[in-house]
Amino acid sequence: MTDHNMNSVARTLNQSFKMAGLALMLSLAACATRPDPANPAAVQAYEEANDPIEPLNRYFFELNRFLDIILLKPVATWYDGIVPDPGKQGVRNVLDNLRSFVVVANDGLQGQWSQAGSDATRFGINSTVGVLGIFDPATGWGYPQHREDLGQTFGTYGIPEGPYLFVPVLGPSPPRDLVGYFGDSFFDPMTYIFWDGPYTVPVTRTVLNGIDIRARNLDTLDQIERTSVDFYSTVRSLYRQSRNNEIANGKSDVDNLPDIDDLNFDTNEPQAVSPQ
Amino acid sequence: MNAALSTRNFFTPLAFALTLIATSVTATLPASAAADPAAEAFVTDISAKAIDIISDKATSRTEKETAFGTLLDAHADLPKIAGFALGQYVRLPTPEQKAEYLKLVRNFVIKVYVTRLSDYHNEKLPITGSQAKGANQAIVDSQINFTNGREPVKVTWWLVKDKSGAYRIFDVNVVGIWLAQEQRSSFTSVIANNGGDFDALLKDLSKKVADADAAPQ
Repeated sequence: MTDHNMNSVARTLNQSFKMAGLALMLSLAACATRPDPANPAAVQAYEEANDPIEPLNRYFFELNRFLDIILLKPVATWYDGIVPDPGKQGVRNVLDNLRSFVVVANDGLQGQWSQAGSDATRFGINSTVGVLGIFDPATGWGYPQHREDLGQTFGTYGIPEGPYLFVPVLGPSPPRDLVGYFGDSFFDPMTYIFWDGPYTVPVTRTVLNGIDIRARNLDTLDQIERTSVDFYSTVRSLYRQSRNNEIANGKSDVDNLPDIDDLNFDTNEPQAVSPQ
Repeated sequence: MNAALSTRNFFTPLAFALTLIATSVTATLPASAAADPAAEAFVTDISAKAIDIISDKATSRTEKETAFGTLLDAHADLPKIAGFALGQYVRLPTPEQKAEYLKLVRNFVIKVYVTRLSDYHNEKLPITGSQAKGANQAIVDSQINFTNGREPVKVTWWLVKDKSGAYRIFDVNVVGIWLAQEQRSSFTSVIANNGGDFDALLKDLSKKVADADAAPQ
Protein backbone atom coordinates (compact mmCIF):
# COMPACT_ATOMS: atom_id res chain seq x y z
CA MET A 1 0.00 0.00 0.00
CA THR A 2 1.16 3.56 -0.63
CA ASP A 3 1.43 6.23 2.04
CA HIS A 4 -1.58 7.92 0.61
CA ASN A 5 -3.68 4.80 0.95
CA MET A 6 -2.44 4.24 4.47
CA ASN A 7 -3.43 7.74 5.42
CA SER A 8 -6.88 7.24 4.08
CA VAL A 9 -7.17 4.00 6.03
CA ALA A 10 -6.02 5.86 9.12
CA ARG A 11 -8.59 8.58 8.52
CA THR A 12 -11.29 5.97 8.07
CA LEU A 13 -10.30 4.27 11.29
CA ASN A 14 -10.21 7.61 13.06
CA GLN A 15 -13.64 8.38 11.63
CA SER A 16 -14.94 5.04 12.86
CA PHE A 17 -13.83 5.79 16.39
CA LYS A 18 -15.56 9.19 16.28
CA MET A 19 -18.68 7.51 14.95
CA ALA A 20 -18.45 4.97 17.74
CA GLY A 21 -18.26 7.75 20.31
CA LEU A 22 -21.29 9.45 18.79
CA ALA A 23 -23.16 6.18 18.68
CA LEU A 24 -22.33 5.56 22.33
CA MET A 25 -23.91 8.86 23.29
CA LEU A 26 -26.97 8.07 21.20
CA SER A 27 -27.16 4.67 22.81
CA LEU A 28 -27.59 6.23 26.23
CA ALA A 29 -31.02 7.22 25.00
CA ALA A 30 -31.71 4.05 22.96
CA CYS A 31 -31.50 1.21 25.46
CA ALA A 32 -32.74 -2.34 25.09
CA THR A 33 -36.34 -3.02 26.01
CA ARG A 34 -36.32 -3.80 29.68
CA PRO A 35 -38.05 -7.07 30.57
CA ASP A 36 -41.47 -7.16 32.17
CA PRO A 37 -40.74 -6.86 35.92
CA ALA A 38 -43.58 -9.33 36.60
CA ASN A 39 -41.69 -12.08 34.75
CA PRO A 40 -38.81 -13.17 37.02
CA ALA A 41 -37.28 -15.50 34.40
CA ALA A 42 -37.06 -12.68 31.84
CA VAL A 43 -35.62 -10.28 34.44
CA GLN A 44 -32.94 -12.79 35.46
CA ALA A 45 -32.09 -13.61 31.85
CA TYR A 46 -31.73 -9.88 31.18
CA GLU A 47 -29.39 -9.48 34.14
CA GLU A 48 -27.35 -12.55 33.22
CA ALA A 49 -26.83 -11.23 29.68
CA ASN A 50 -25.67 -7.86 31.12
CA ASP A 51 -26.16 -6.28 27.72
CA PRO A 52 -28.33 -3.17 28.23
CA ILE A 53 -27.72 -1.71 24.76
CA GLU A 54 -28.13 -5.04 22.97
CA PRO A 55 -30.01 -3.71 19.88
CA LEU A 56 -27.23 -1.22 19.16
CA ASN A 57 -24.54 -3.82 19.85
CA ARG A 58 -26.25 -6.20 17.47
CA TYR A 59 -26.32 -3.47 14.84
CA PHE A 60 -22.56 -2.94 15.15
CA PHE A 61 -22.02 -6.69 15.21
CA GLU A 62 -23.83 -7.00 11.87
CA LEU A 63 -21.88 -4.02 10.55
CA ASN A 64 -18.63 -5.77 11.47
CA ARG A 65 -19.83 -8.97 9.82
CA PHE A 66 -20.56 -6.99 6.69
CA LEU A 67 -17.08 -5.40 6.72
CA ASP A 68 -15.66 -8.86 7.35
CA ILE A 69 -17.45 -10.36 4.36
CA ILE A 70 -16.57 -7.61 1.90
CA LEU A 71 -13.07 -6.77 3.12
CA LEU A 72 -11.33 -8.57 5.97
CA LYS A 73 -12.21 -12.16 5.15
CA PRO A 74 -11.24 -11.97 1.46
CA VAL A 75 -7.94 -10.28 2.32
CA ALA A 76 -7.25 -12.77 5.13
CA THR A 77 -8.11 -15.71 2.85
CA TRP A 78 -5.76 -14.33 0.23
CA TYR A 79 -3.02 -13.75 2.83
CA ASP A 80 -3.50 -17.24 4.21
CA GLY A 81 -3.29 -18.81 0.76
CA ILE A 82 -0.42 -16.83 -0.74
CA VAL A 83 2.03 -16.34 2.15
CA PRO A 84 3.93 -19.53 3.08
CA ASP A 85 3.64 -20.73 6.69
CA PRO A 86 7.15 -19.63 7.80
CA GLY A 87 6.37 -16.14 6.46
CA LYS A 88 3.11 -15.94 8.40
CA GLN A 89 4.85 -17.20 11.53
CA GLY A 90 7.54 -14.53 11.08
CA VAL A 91 4.92 -11.79 10.79
CA ARG A 92 3.14 -13.10 13.90
CA ASN A 93 6.44 -13.22 15.80
CA VAL A 94 7.36 -9.64 14.87
CA LEU A 95 3.91 -8.36 15.90
CA ASP A 96 4.05 -10.29 19.19
CA ASN A 97 7.55 -9.04 19.88
CA LEU A 98 6.42 -5.43 19.36
CA ARG A 99 3.80 -5.98 22.06
CA SER A 100 6.44 -6.96 24.61
CA PHE A 101 6.51 -3.50 26.22
CA VAL A 102 2.78 -3.65 26.91
CA VAL A 103 3.08 -7.21 28.24
CA VAL A 104 6.02 -6.40 30.54
CA ALA A 105 4.29 -3.24 31.83
CA ASN A 106 1.18 -5.24 32.68
CA ASP A 107 3.18 -8.10 34.23
CA GLY A 108 4.55 -5.43 36.57
CA LEU A 109 1.17 -3.83 37.25
CA GLN A 110 -0.13 -7.28 38.19
CA GLY A 111 2.82 -7.80 40.52
CA GLN A 112 4.07 -10.78 38.50
CA TRP A 113 7.70 -9.79 38.71
CA SER A 114 9.28 -13.07 37.64
CA GLN A 115 6.99 -13.19 34.61
CA ALA A 116 8.00 -9.57 33.84
CA GLY A 117 11.65 -10.66 34.01
CA SER A 118 10.94 -13.59 31.75
CA ASP A 119 9.09 -11.45 29.21
CA ALA A 120 11.80 -8.77 29.20
CA THR A 121 14.47 -11.43 28.67
CA ARG A 122 12.29 -12.91 25.94
CA PHE A 123 12.14 -9.53 24.19
CA GLY A 124 15.92 -9.18 24.45
CA ILE A 125 16.57 -12.62 22.98
CA ASN A 126 14.01 -12.43 20.17
CA SER A 127 15.01 -8.89 19.15
CA THR A 128 18.67 -9.89 18.79
CA VAL A 129 19.14 -13.63 18.23
CA GLY A 130 15.65 -13.75 16.74
CA VAL A 131 16.57 -11.03 14.19
CA LEU A 132 14.21 -8.17 15.16
CA GLY A 133 11.63 -10.61 16.40
CA ILE A 134 11.17 -12.58 13.16
CA PHE A 135 12.17 -15.81 14.91
CA ASP A 136 11.25 -16.99 18.37
CA PRO A 137 14.22 -18.83 19.92
CA ALA A 138 13.18 -17.63 23.42
CA THR A 139 10.26 -20.07 23.76
CA GLY A 140 12.58 -23.03 23.31
CA TRP A 141 14.99 -21.58 25.86
CA GLY A 142 12.38 -21.46 28.61
CA TYR A 143 10.91 -17.98 28.15
CA PRO A 144 7.41 -18.77 26.87
CA GLN A 145 5.08 -16.14 25.53
CA HIS A 146 2.50 -14.52 27.82
CA ARG A 147 -0.47 -12.44 26.82
CA GLU A 148 -1.26 -9.61 29.21
CA ASP A 149 -3.05 -6.32 28.69
CA LEU A 150 -4.43 -3.50 30.80
CA GLY A 151 -7.98 -4.88 30.65
CA GLN A 152 -6.68 -8.10 32.25
CA THR A 153 -4.71 -6.08 34.80
CA PHE A 154 -7.91 -4.24 35.81
CA GLY A 155 -9.56 -7.65 36.01
CA THR A 156 -6.94 -8.91 38.47
CA TYR A 157 -7.67 -5.80 40.59
CA GLY A 158 -11.26 -7.05 40.81
CA ILE A 159 -12.74 -4.45 38.43
CA PRO A 160 -15.75 -6.00 36.66
CA GLU A 161 -15.91 -5.76 32.87
CA GLY A 162 -19.14 -3.76 32.95
CA PRO A 163 -22.05 -4.01 30.52
CA TYR A 164 -21.29 -5.62 27.18
CA LEU A 165 -20.24 -3.30 24.38
CA PHE A 166 -19.59 -4.14 20.76
CA VAL A 167 -17.55 -1.41 19.07
CA PRO A 168 -17.36 -1.19 15.24
CA VAL A 169 -14.02 -2.49 13.86
CA LEU A 170 -12.67 -3.14 17.38
CA GLY A 171 -15.22 -5.84 18.25
CA PRO A 172 -16.27 -6.89 21.78
CA SER A 173 -15.00 -4.17 24.13
CA PRO A 174 -16.82 -3.81 27.44
CA PRO A 175 -15.81 -0.60 29.26
CA ARG A 176 -12.99 -2.17 31.30
CA ASP A 177 -11.33 -3.64 28.22
CA LEU A 178 -11.99 -0.58 26.06
CA VAL A 179 -10.25 1.66 28.59
CA GLY A 180 -7.50 -0.94 28.80
CA TYR A 181 -7.10 -0.95 25.02
CA PHE A 182 -6.44 2.78 24.87
CA GLY A 183 -4.46 2.73 28.12
CA ASP A 184 -2.08 0.12 26.73
CA SER A 185 -1.01 2.49 23.96
CA PHE A 186 0.72 4.60 26.65
CA PHE A 187 3.05 1.67 27.40
CA ASP A 188 3.88 1.26 23.73
CA PRO A 189 7.02 3.11 22.58
CA MET A 190 5.69 3.18 19.02
CA THR A 191 2.97 5.54 20.22
CA TYR A 192 5.64 8.12 21.02
CA ILE A 193 7.96 7.47 18.08
CA PHE A 194 5.31 7.95 15.43
CA TRP A 195 2.85 10.27 17.06
CA ASP A 196 3.22 13.24 14.68
CA GLY A 197 4.68 11.51 11.62
CA PRO A 198 2.69 9.74 8.93
CA TYR A 199 0.47 6.97 10.26
CA THR A 200 2.16 4.39 8.00
CA VAL A 201 3.90 2.29 10.65
CA PRO A 202 1.19 2.07 13.33
CA VAL A 203 -1.55 1.56 10.75
CA THR A 204 0.39 -1.15 8.89
CA ARG A 205 0.89 -2.84 12.24
CA THR A 206 -2.80 -2.64 13.20
CA VAL A 207 -4.02 -3.75 9.78
CA LEU A 208 -1.50 -6.58 9.51
CA ASN A 209 -2.40 -7.72 13.01
CA GLY A 210 -6.09 -7.81 12.07
CA ILE A 211 -5.42 -9.74 8.86
CA ASP A 212 -3.14 -12.22 10.61
CA ILE A 213 -5.61 -12.91 13.45
CA ARG A 214 -8.46 -13.30 10.95
CA ALA A 215 -6.38 -15.61 8.75
CA ARG A 216 -5.69 -17.83 11.76
CA ASN A 217 -9.39 -18.14 12.54
CA LEU A 218 -10.90 -18.63 9.08
CA ASP A 219 -12.15 -22.16 9.75
CA THR A 220 -12.85 -21.71 13.46
CA LEU A 221 -15.10 -18.68 13.02
CA ASP A 222 -16.99 -20.27 10.11
CA GLN A 223 -17.54 -23.35 12.20
CA ILE A 224 -18.78 -21.40 15.22
CA GLU A 225 -21.13 -19.38 13.04
CA ARG A 226 -22.49 -22.52 11.41
CA THR A 227 -23.07 -24.27 14.72
CA SER A 228 -24.56 -21.40 16.74
CA VAL A 229 -28.23 -20.85 17.36
CA ASP A 230 -27.45 -17.16 17.86
CA PHE A 231 -24.02 -16.10 16.62
CA TYR A 232 -24.09 -12.73 18.42
CA SER A 233 -24.69 -14.11 21.91
CA THR A 234 -22.31 -17.01 21.27
CA VAL A 235 -19.54 -14.53 20.50
CA ARG A 236 -20.51 -12.58 23.62
CA SER A 237 -20.20 -15.71 25.76
CA LEU A 238 -16.94 -16.77 24.09
CA TYR A 239 -15.47 -13.31 24.63
CA ARG A 240 -16.41 -13.17 28.31
CA GLN A 241 -15.29 -16.69 29.07
CA SER A 242 -11.96 -16.37 27.32
CA ARG A 243 -11.27 -13.01 29.02
CA ASN A 244 -11.98 -14.52 32.43
CA ASN A 245 -9.70 -17.39 31.54
CA GLU A 246 -6.94 -14.98 30.50
CA ILE A 247 -7.35 -12.95 33.68
CA ALA A 248 -7.00 -16.13 35.75
CA ASN A 249 -4.00 -17.07 33.54
CA GLY A 250 -5.64 -20.38 32.70
CA LYS A 251 -6.09 -21.45 36.32
CA SER A 252 -9.69 -22.57 36.70
CA ASP A 253 -11.46 -21.90 39.97
CA VAL A 254 -13.63 -24.94 40.60
CA ASP A 255 -15.62 -23.20 43.35
CA ASN A 256 -16.68 -20.44 40.96
CA LEU A 257 -18.74 -22.74 38.75
CA PRO A 258 -22.53 -22.43 38.71
CA ASP A 259 -24.41 -24.56 41.24
CA ILE A 260 -26.01 -27.48 39.37
CA ASP A 261 -26.81 -29.80 42.28
CA ASP A 262 -30.48 -28.89 42.37
CA LEU A 263 -30.86 -28.48 38.63
CA ASN A 264 -33.65 -30.77 37.52
CA PHE A 265 -35.23 -31.00 34.09
CA ASP A 266 -37.84 -33.66 34.65
CA THR A 267 -40.50 -33.52 31.93
CA ASN A 268 -43.30 -34.21 34.41
CA GLU A 269 -42.51 -31.32 36.69
CA PRO A 270 -45.15 -28.59 37.10
CA GLN A 271 -44.17 -25.20 35.74
CA ALA A 272 -43.26 -22.61 38.34
CA VAL A 273 -43.19 -19.69 35.92
CA SER A 274 -45.95 -19.43 33.36
CA PRO A 275 -45.04 -18.45 29.79
CA GLN A 276 -45.60 -14.82 29.00
CA MET B 1 4.34 -24.45 34.92
CA ASN B 2 3.09 -21.30 36.59
CA ALA B 3 4.46 -22.32 39.96
CA ALA B 4 7.80 -23.00 38.35
CA LEU B 5 7.74 -19.60 36.66
CA SER B 6 7.14 -17.68 39.86
CA THR B 7 10.19 -19.14 41.56
CA ARG B 8 12.49 -18.87 38.60
CA ASN B 9 15.39 -16.48 38.83
CA PHE B 10 15.97 -15.36 35.31
CA PHE B 11 19.41 -13.97 35.68
CA THR B 12 21.08 -17.00 37.25
CA PRO B 13 21.94 -19.73 34.77
CA LEU B 14 22.32 -22.30 37.57
CA ALA B 15 18.83 -21.62 38.92
CA PHE B 16 17.54 -21.71 35.38
CA ALA B 17 19.04 -25.15 34.77
CA LEU B 18 17.68 -26.41 38.11
CA THR B 19 14.22 -25.10 37.28
CA LEU B 20 14.29 -26.92 33.97
CA ILE B 21 15.01 -30.15 35.84
CA ALA B 22 12.35 -29.32 38.45
CA THR B 23 9.78 -28.64 35.73
CA SER B 24 10.37 -31.96 34.06
CA VAL B 25 10.15 -33.75 37.42
CA THR B 26 6.84 -32.03 38.27
CA ALA B 27 5.45 -33.01 34.89
CA THR B 28 6.04 -36.70 35.56
CA LEU B 29 4.70 -36.69 39.14
CA PRO B 30 1.31 -38.36 39.73
CA ALA B 31 -1.72 -36.10 40.15
CA SER B 32 -2.36 -34.25 43.43
CA ALA B 33 -3.73 -35.75 46.64
CA ALA B 34 -7.31 -34.65 45.90
CA ALA B 35 -7.35 -36.83 42.77
CA ASP B 36 -10.36 -38.91 41.86
CA PRO B 37 -9.16 -42.09 40.08
CA ALA B 38 -12.68 -43.22 39.14
CA ALA B 39 -13.38 -39.91 37.39
CA GLU B 40 -10.02 -40.04 35.61
CA ALA B 41 -10.65 -43.58 34.38
CA PHE B 42 -14.08 -42.48 33.15
CA VAL B 43 -12.63 -39.60 31.12
CA THR B 44 -9.80 -41.73 29.71
CA ASP B 45 -12.35 -44.30 28.57
CA ILE B 46 -14.91 -41.88 27.12
CA SER B 47 -12.41 -39.62 25.35
CA ALA B 48 -10.72 -42.62 23.76
CA LYS B 49 -14.09 -43.86 22.53
CA ALA B 50 -15.02 -40.41 21.17
CA ILE B 51 -11.67 -40.02 19.39
CA ASP B 52 -12.05 -43.52 17.93
CA ILE B 53 -15.46 -42.60 16.52
CA ILE B 54 -14.21 -39.32 15.04
CA SER B 55 -11.01 -40.88 13.62
CA ASP B 56 -12.59 -43.88 11.94
CA LYS B 57 -12.08 -43.18 8.25
CA ALA B 58 -14.18 -46.18 7.21
CA THR B 59 -17.48 -44.76 8.55
CA SER B 60 -19.71 -42.13 6.97
CA ARG B 61 -20.74 -39.01 8.87
CA THR B 62 -24.19 -40.47 9.53
CA GLU B 63 -22.62 -43.57 11.08
CA LYS B 64 -20.29 -41.38 13.15
CA GLU B 65 -23.27 -39.38 14.37
CA THR B 66 -25.15 -42.52 15.37
CA ALA B 67 -22.16 -43.90 17.28
CA PHE B 68 -21.54 -40.52 18.95
CA GLY B 69 -25.23 -40.35 19.91
CA THR B 70 -25.07 -43.75 21.58
CA LEU B 71 -21.97 -42.68 23.52
CA LEU B 72 -23.71 -39.46 24.53
CA ASP B 73 -26.85 -41.26 25.75
CA ALA B 74 -24.79 -43.66 27.83
CA HIS B 75 -22.30 -41.23 29.36
CA ALA B 76 -23.58 -37.65 29.26
CA ASP B 77 -26.32 -36.18 31.43
CA LEU B 78 -28.27 -34.70 28.50
CA PRO B 79 -31.41 -33.69 30.46
CA LYS B 80 -29.24 -31.78 32.95
CA ILE B 81 -27.25 -30.11 30.17
CA ALA B 82 -30.48 -29.22 28.34
CA GLY B 83 -32.01 -27.80 31.52
CA PHE B 84 -28.87 -25.79 32.32
CA ALA B 85 -28.79 -24.35 28.79
CA LEU B 86 -32.25 -22.85 29.36
CA GLY B 87 -30.98 -20.82 32.30
CA GLN B 88 -33.79 -18.96 34.00
CA TYR B 89 -36.27 -20.23 31.39
CA VAL B 90 -36.01 -23.82 32.62
CA ARG B 91 -39.66 -23.77 33.78
CA LEU B 92 -40.98 -22.14 30.61
CA PRO B 93 -41.71 -25.04 28.18
CA THR B 94 -44.85 -27.17 28.32
CA PRO B 95 -44.30 -30.98 28.65
CA GLU B 96 -44.72 -31.33 24.85
CA GLN B 97 -42.22 -28.52 24.20
CA LYS B 98 -39.81 -30.11 26.68
CA ALA B 99 -39.93 -33.47 24.90
CA GLU B 100 -39.35 -31.78 21.53
CA TYR B 101 -36.57 -29.62 23.01
CA LEU B 102 -34.74 -32.61 24.52
CA LYS B 103 -34.87 -34.42 21.18
CA LEU B 104 -33.56 -31.35 19.32
CA VAL B 105 -30.79 -30.65 21.85
CA ARG B 106 -29.56 -34.23 21.50
CA ASN B 107 -29.41 -33.92 17.71
CA PHE B 108 -27.91 -30.44 17.91
CA VAL B 109 -25.14 -31.54 20.30
CA ILE B 110 -24.32 -34.52 18.07
CA LYS B 111 -24.14 -32.39 14.90
CA VAL B 112 -22.16 -29.58 16.54
CA TYR B 113 -19.58 -31.80 18.20
CA VAL B 114 -19.06 -34.26 15.38
CA THR B 115 -18.24 -31.14 13.31
CA ARG B 116 -16.15 -29.36 15.91
CA LEU B 117 -14.26 -32.46 16.99
CA SER B 118 -13.32 -33.45 13.45
CA ASP B 119 -10.02 -31.55 13.94
CA TYR B 120 -8.97 -33.84 16.76
CA HIS B 121 -8.71 -37.21 15.11
CA ASN B 122 -5.97 -39.61 16.19
CA GLU B 123 -4.75 -37.36 19.01
CA LYS B 124 -3.94 -38.54 22.53
CA LEU B 125 -5.62 -37.02 25.55
CA PRO B 126 -3.61 -37.69 28.72
CA ILE B 127 -5.13 -36.78 32.10
CA THR B 128 -3.20 -34.04 33.93
CA GLY B 129 -5.15 -33.97 37.21
CA SER B 130 -8.51 -34.28 38.89
CA GLN B 131 -10.42 -33.28 41.99
CA ALA B 132 -13.74 -34.05 43.61
CA LYS B 133 -16.23 -31.17 43.73
CA GLY B 134 -18.75 -31.71 46.52
CA ALA B 135 -20.13 -35.21 47.01
CA ASN B 136 -21.52 -35.78 43.53
CA GLN B 137 -19.25 -33.94 41.10
CA ALA B 138 -15.69 -34.16 39.84
CA ILE B 139 -13.43 -32.01 37.69
CA VAL B 140 -10.87 -33.76 35.49
CA ASP B 141 -8.10 -31.89 33.65
CA SER B 142 -6.65 -33.28 30.46
CA GLN B 143 -4.61 -32.03 27.56
CA ILE B 144 -4.65 -32.76 23.85
CA ASN B 145 -1.08 -33.14 22.60
CA PHE B 146 -0.88 -32.72 18.88
CA THR B 147 1.44 -34.85 16.83
CA ASN B 148 2.05 -32.01 14.34
CA GLY B 149 3.70 -29.67 16.87
CA ARG B 150 0.63 -27.51 17.47
CA GLU B 151 0.38 -26.01 20.96
CA PRO B 152 -1.37 -28.44 23.36
CA VAL B 153 -5.02 -27.73 24.07
CA LYS B 154 -6.30 -27.86 27.67
CA VAL B 155 -9.58 -29.73 28.10
CA THR B 156 -11.40 -29.84 31.44
CA TRP B 157 -14.27 -32.24 32.11
CA TRP B 158 -17.05 -31.54 34.58
CA LEU B 159 -18.67 -34.79 35.72
CA VAL B 160 -21.82 -35.43 37.76
CA LYS B 161 -22.88 -38.69 39.37
CA ASP B 162 -26.25 -40.02 38.25
CA LYS B 163 -28.71 -41.86 40.53
CA SER B 164 -26.78 -45.13 40.20
CA GLY B 165 -23.57 -43.37 41.29
CA ALA B 166 -21.91 -43.59 37.85
CA TYR B 167 -20.23 -40.51 36.42
CA ARG B 168 -21.79 -38.66 33.51
CA ILE B 169 -20.45 -35.69 31.55
CA PHE B 170 -22.12 -32.40 32.38
CA ASP B 171 -19.86 -29.89 30.67
CA VAL B 172 -16.53 -29.70 28.85
CA ASN B 173 -14.14 -26.77 28.91
CA VAL B 174 -11.86 -26.27 25.92
CA VAL B 175 -9.14 -23.60 26.26
CA GLY B 176 -11.12 -21.78 28.94
CA ILE B 177 -14.58 -21.98 27.32
CA TRP B 178 -17.34 -23.99 29.04
CA LEU B 179 -19.45 -25.32 26.19
CA ALA B 180 -22.76 -25.66 28.04
CA GLN B 181 -22.40 -22.07 29.25
CA GLU B 182 -21.82 -20.96 25.67
CA GLN B 183 -25.05 -22.71 24.63
CA ARG B 184 -26.95 -21.27 27.59
CA SER B 185 -25.99 -17.78 26.50
CA SER B 186 -27.41 -18.21 23.00
CA PHE B 187 -30.47 -20.30 23.97
CA THR B 188 -31.66 -17.79 26.60
CA SER B 189 -30.90 -14.94 24.21
CA VAL B 190 -33.14 -16.42 21.51
CA ILE B 191 -36.00 -16.83 23.98
CA ALA B 192 -35.56 -13.34 25.46
CA ASN B 193 -35.38 -11.69 22.04
CA ASN B 194 -38.61 -13.38 20.98
CA GLY B 195 -40.58 -12.08 23.91
CA GLY B 196 -40.32 -15.31 25.92
CA ASP B 197 -41.56 -17.54 23.11
CA PHE B 198 -40.13 -21.04 23.61
CA ASP B 199 -41.16 -22.14 20.11
CA ALA B 200 -38.72 -19.61 18.65
CA LEU B 201 -35.86 -21.60 20.19
CA LEU B 202 -37.31 -24.89 18.91
CA LYS B 203 -37.55 -23.38 15.43
CA ASP B 204 -33.94 -22.12 15.46
CA LEU B 205 -32.63 -25.41 16.81
CA SER B 206 -34.35 -27.50 14.16
CA LYS B 207 -33.08 -25.10 11.50
CA LYS B 208 -29.49 -25.55 12.72
CA VAL B 209 -29.89 -29.33 12.76
CA ALA B 210 -31.28 -29.25 9.21
CA ASP B 211 -28.46 -26.92 8.06
CA ALA B 212 -25.87 -29.32 9.45
CA ASP B 213 -27.49 -32.17 7.52
CA ALA B 214 -27.39 -30.13 4.33
CA ALA B 215 -23.72 -29.09 4.79
CA PRO B 216 -21.12 -30.86 2.59
CA GLN B 217 -19.82 -34.09 4.13
